[in-house]
Amino acid sequence: MTSIAQSAELEHYLDKSLPEWKAQKTFDQNFADTKLKAKRPDLTPEEKARPFAKYYYEPIKEADPKHYAEMDTPKDPAKAFGPEELNRLLDTKYLESYETFEIGWCHLPNGTGYIANKIFYPGVTAEMIDWWFAWHPLEDLRYRIWYPPQHAGIMLSPIDRARILDPKIPNAEKNWGVTHHVTEDCNCGMDNIEIAFRSPKDMGFDMERYNKVAATFAGGMGWQCPVDKTDFSITAPAMMAHIFYNQPGGLLHRTRFWMGYRICPDNTFECSLPPGVKVPVEAVQGLARHNVKEFTRFGEFLPRIYKELGHSMFC
Amino acid sequence: MPIKLMAASRRRPGLTRAEYFRYIEHYHGTVARLEPFKIHKYIQNHVIDGAFGQLSDRDHKCKTQDRECVVELYFKRFPDMIATLDTHGPAPSRAAMDGQYFADEPTNILVMAEEVEIPVLNPLPKFNPGLGEPGQGAVRVMHYIKRKPEVYLQDFHRLWREAHDDAYEDSPYAQDNFRKIIANKRCKIADNDTEARKHFRMVDHPIYDLVVEITLDSIEQVGAFRQYLDHLQQTKLDFANWSESFYLYTRPVRIIDNAPVTV
Repeated sequence: MTSIAQSAELEHYLDKSLPEWKAQKTFDQNFADTKLKAKRPDLTPEEKARPFAKYYYEPIKEADPKHYAEMDTPKDPAKAFGPEELNRLLDTKYLESYETFEIGWCHLPNGTGYIANKIFYPGVTAEMIDWWFAWHPLEDLRYRIWYPPQHAGIMLSPIDRARILDPKIPNAEKNWGVTHHVTEDCNCGMDNIEIAFRSPKDMGFDMERYNKVAATFAGGMGWQCPVDKTDFSITAPAMMAHIFYNQPGGLLHRTRFWMGYRICPDNTFECSLPPGVKVPVEAVQGLARHNVKEFTRFGEFLPRIYKELGHSMFC
Repeated sequence: MPIKLMAASRRRPGLTRAEYFRYIEHYHGTVARLEPFKIHKYIQNHVIDGAFGQLSDRDHKCKTQDRECVVELYFKRFPDMIATLDTHGPAPSRAAMDGQYFADEPTNILVMAEEVEIPVLNPLPKFNPGLGEPGQGAVRVMHYIKRKPEVYLQDFHRLWREAHDDAYEDSPYAQDNFRKIIANKRCKIADNDTEARKHFRMVDHPIYDLVVEITLDSIEQVGAFRQYLDHLQQTKLDFANWSESFYLYTRPVRIIDNAPVTV
């Protein structure tokens, strides 16, 4: 960022009347509002006036049918790996071998859900990824434009918002320790999901290897429960890893989900399912299919929106 | 990573405190030792005294009043907890069925928590230190802190830590006498506490996102906590509802404790 741009960013950071600050709601207020967000209402006049509103109305690129069909049936669990082997994501030789699958889902022997996806984005850079993951949690509409059919809203806490908007923190680090409170439908109805993002180091990557292989990373742990929560609704944990690799002409994106795992305060991973319980098939397959759709859209629209708005967190 | 269940109960109608303590320690505790299931550690914290709300309140706003004991059940893993507390199995444990004889179960307060240890300056007393283990003591203060509903959970924990650090720094008596501090953070997996609530027969219980345990040498040092609490409640950081918070001075009683002592 140039010093002029930095100075402008600082000025915006100090101006609490801007939409990026005014979007803040209290926890209980936002929680109540998720019921309305879940209905995906029409944009308000204020939202329609935002410079990125046009992305909400444009046609969405459909997933390649062959890619989508890979999520029709479960794959061989012997070719999946648990989060304890997270660093396999730094072993491209292994990943490209027949020992594992890169697109698909299954249940691990302990009942947790495993999802793998791989997608190449022509013309996308790590800087675009870092900017997007910091930029989009600031307003509901920024999240909705990512995948309008299933993304309903998003919120940050005041401390997290201040971190995201802090011009002194590089885009790649803004989400470290930040929680996104999202409302989205992963093909099982609208859920509220609290996604706590982590640095790659805190996630458990071997940083010496990571720095040689990965371009950037966005991941952590989430807690998911239905918007229409009852006493018998399940609040389910999942670990998520989106890792990006520089390749000629663009970026390769690998995703792994481990549904039913949580990260403990000492950074160990634990399967948190009751004995004998499996993550429902609909939930695993639903998220796998959602992942294909949302990231197909993502790869196509990110270069365009970055070109227009990627110079700042503010617009 | 261990996970623990903390249940704060009061005595059932018709019992004196002495009768309650006799039952929970010697009858119920014996049953728990005979049938530990997957319990890794079981500590009963018998209440000596406590305060509900804050001094500036004209009347009680805290829903919780009168506690006799805070039970801590430690498990190595979450599935172990579920397996132990399952009341739908073919043979529910005797301990699971025993609570009705000493506790007012519907008013139990349950916190499914993960421990985070907070550093202290003096884990050992300077007075007559002997060969003592650091971090041990005869009194534990259990401070139940109620999050304000408008505060996000992650901000609540951050703001508490900042307020705690400031209060500790301003409290020399607390610095001299706090032997160990554990922040018990309510785990979100507790949102699935239907089985645990059935086990303890709880109804409409208040939710506490943080229970701070502070170990002191003896009841003679509880003034250290009062000094610290005064500073804590004067914080400008707005995260807690002090009127709905409470603290208990307790005496830890080890029922099952084969785990090695950690500092």
